[in-house]
Amino acid sequence: MSKTATRAGATSKDDICPVCKSSRYLNPNMKFLVNPECYHKMCESCVDRIFSHGPAPCPIAGCKRTLRKARFRRQTFEDLKVEREVDIRRKVAKLFDKEQDDFETLRDYNDYLETVETTLWNLILKIDLEATNRRIGLWQQHLTEESNSTQRTQVEDPSLLTDKSHVILKKGGTQRKNVAGIKQDLLTGVGDEPETGFVFRGLKKRVAPEPEKPYDPYNGWSIEPQYYVVQDDYNVDWITHPKHDPAFTVGGYDVRDLYSRALCDAFGGLGVFIEDEKAPQPSVGAATALPVVDGGGGGGQDVNMDDIF
Amino acid sequence: MKLTEDDIYRSSTQYRNWSFTPAQLTAQRLKTNQQASERVKAAVARQRAQRARQSQLDSANTSESERNEVVCLTPEEELKLVDTFCDVAQKLGDFCNYPAEITATCIQFVRRFYLFNSPMTYEGQNITRTAMFIANKAESHFLDVEVFSSQCGKNSTAEKILAPEYLIIQALRYNLDVKHPFRALKGGHLELVELARGNLATLPNASQTATELQNEMLQLPRKAGGPAVKMTGPELEKRLGEAYGFAAYILKTAALLTDSYFLYTPSQIWLAAHLLADEPVTLFYLSTKIPPSHPTYSKLVTTIRACATLISSHRSYRSDRSSAEEKDIRDQQAREEIKALVKKLRQCRDPDKVDLVKLNQAQKRDAVHEGGLEENKAKRRKLQREGYEKEADGFWGPDIAKNGGGK
Repeated sequence: MSKTATRAGATSKDDICPVCKSSRYLNPNMKFLVNPECYHKMCESCVDRIFSHGPAPCPIAGCKRTLRKARFRRQTFEDLKVEREVDIRRKVAKLFDKEQDDFETLRDYNDYLETVETTLWNLILKIDLEATNRRIGLWQQHLTEESNSTQRTQVEDPSLLTDKSHVILKKGGTQRKNVAGIKQDLLTGVGDEPETGFVFRGLKKRVAPEPEKPYDPYNGWSIEPQYYVVQDDYNVDWITHPKHDPAFTVGGYDVRDLYSRALCDAFGGLGVFIEDEKAPQPSVGAATALPVVDGGGGGGQDVNMDDIF
Repeated sequence: MKLTEDDIYRSSTQYRNWSFTPAQLTAQRLKTNQQASERVKAAVARQRAQRARQSQLDSANTSESERNEVVCLTPEEELKLVDTFCDVAQKLGDFCNYPAEITATCIQFVRRFYLFNSPMTYEGQNITRTAMFIANKAESHFLDVEVFSSQCGKNSTAEKILAPEYLIIQALRYNLDVKHPFRALKGGHLELVELARGNLATLPNASQTATELQNEMLQLPRKAGGPAVKMTGPELEKRLGEAYGFAAYILKTAALLTDSYFLYTPSQIWLAAHLLADEPVTLFYLSTKIPPSHPTYSKLVTTIRACATLISSHRSYRSDRSSAEEKDIRDQQAREEIKALVKKLRQCRDPDKVDLVKLNQAQKRDAVHEGGLEENKAKRRKLQREGYEKEADGFWGPDIAKNGGGK
């Protein structure tokens, strides 16, 4: 409620559109829009009139920027300077998204924050704009390369690629990297800026996440039979007939399942001596003297179970 | 992280919950018997006291027989009865033409059930039938309870079959998987035949090649301790086939009806059956798996021999090796014995547990509890539900309730 009120107040002050000079008095529903390109205000009907047929230069005298209709929007803040600063901050924050954990020391992090803030104010106050923009562009390029390189290391060894890069034509990522490298060489030749635009001290090295292993439903366990070796084929007609019987084979039945299961049954528990293993374990001292008296509870732990009736 | 086939067996419920040493087995049966006897005596005493109170009102004399202490079954007698139940179960399975696995599972269910329950508490006939019904389901052989009950005899109803179902499942501790030695025997036979043909894949640490083993196998004596013979390949295969047939027969009869499932593993049971069928081949086969010098070998052979002794001690095994007359006499004796036992059992049944159907009903929704209000409520609810069901059976289904779904 209060927000709309302030906006109404803002528009009522200068309620004449600088482009068509129509006033709120004539058109009570008039809305003012701005474009983040130049932040010049104009009314909605002017935007429709001028920019409906595609990009056009700003109609305000002295401003020659090309504007597009889609970028026009209602301003959020009363002060257009604040509006612009917020926009710039939003853009820059996307590129400089390091956190304190990414740095080795707090000092390094603070240095980083200061660099970012300086860059921001350069942009906001339009100091050294061209150089700053170029550095940001380089930094952006550096970031995309970095994220690409992590993707590639999962697939193949990058050291192999660089050796033969002159011989074999590479796919997307590598090619782009080579081009970028050349471009950076040119740039570094011209000025004394770092080739990534910015250099931050004390950044921890990024560790690529480990590639995911194929899923193992047995969690590393395997069955290693000690009494038998399963052969691929057996020939005992009346047991192994499913291998020729279409009634079994069309369903995808593999007769080797039968072999391995039958053999596992045949020897599962061969070396299990129940008399030894199930005998009540004598406790160290006392039980040696006592004969086995209470054998009742040895097998079923819950002998006195509830009777449901 | 490796698992051997022994570890796999150790993870089964049959090993964890249903394997015992002989001492444990005896102790458990004794304990079950004692608990059941106490319960029977207490229940009978209570019933008599009630009756005495009534007869005082009627001023009639209590009969002499009622003063006597109840004579309960001993654990040995109970075991004999359980064996009889198992025989009955086997006959039922044969009559219904069920696969061997189902009958075998049913028999093991009965044996497991009566390890923790007494025949004095729960009557054998009903339990056996229900166990058969459960075994059918456990072995994925689904059948209609109505059809099954009609096969079971004239006085059997679906209600009677279903009444003790939960009781049995609970007594089995929900362990419905029974590991049988049938498929194991097939696996062993596969290997034996390949061994006889001289193309069995040898174990990594084997000292002999497949051909050497084949030659050795062809010279195995017919009987244990007999002279070595020279056999041809087909002869040997025929011998193996016969051994398989006999071993399979033993597994389906004698092995099932003894305590072998409690005391030994399926692997040892099938080897014991094969040992009874053809001793030289079985021992030779074992020696290809574990070298005879290994300490496990002698221990294993002892275990398997003990298992074979247990299996061969069963009546059905002995009866095959005796003349018809002897068999008749022995069967006659057994029948007399069982008759006497059943008569004795009738005197010491737990009166609380006679009517399982009624007890089962008492657990259900429409159970009539003491107190008139409850009874009214139950009746009203039952009538209501019957009404709904009748409506639901109608062609257009029940009416759609107004005001947001009934009361």
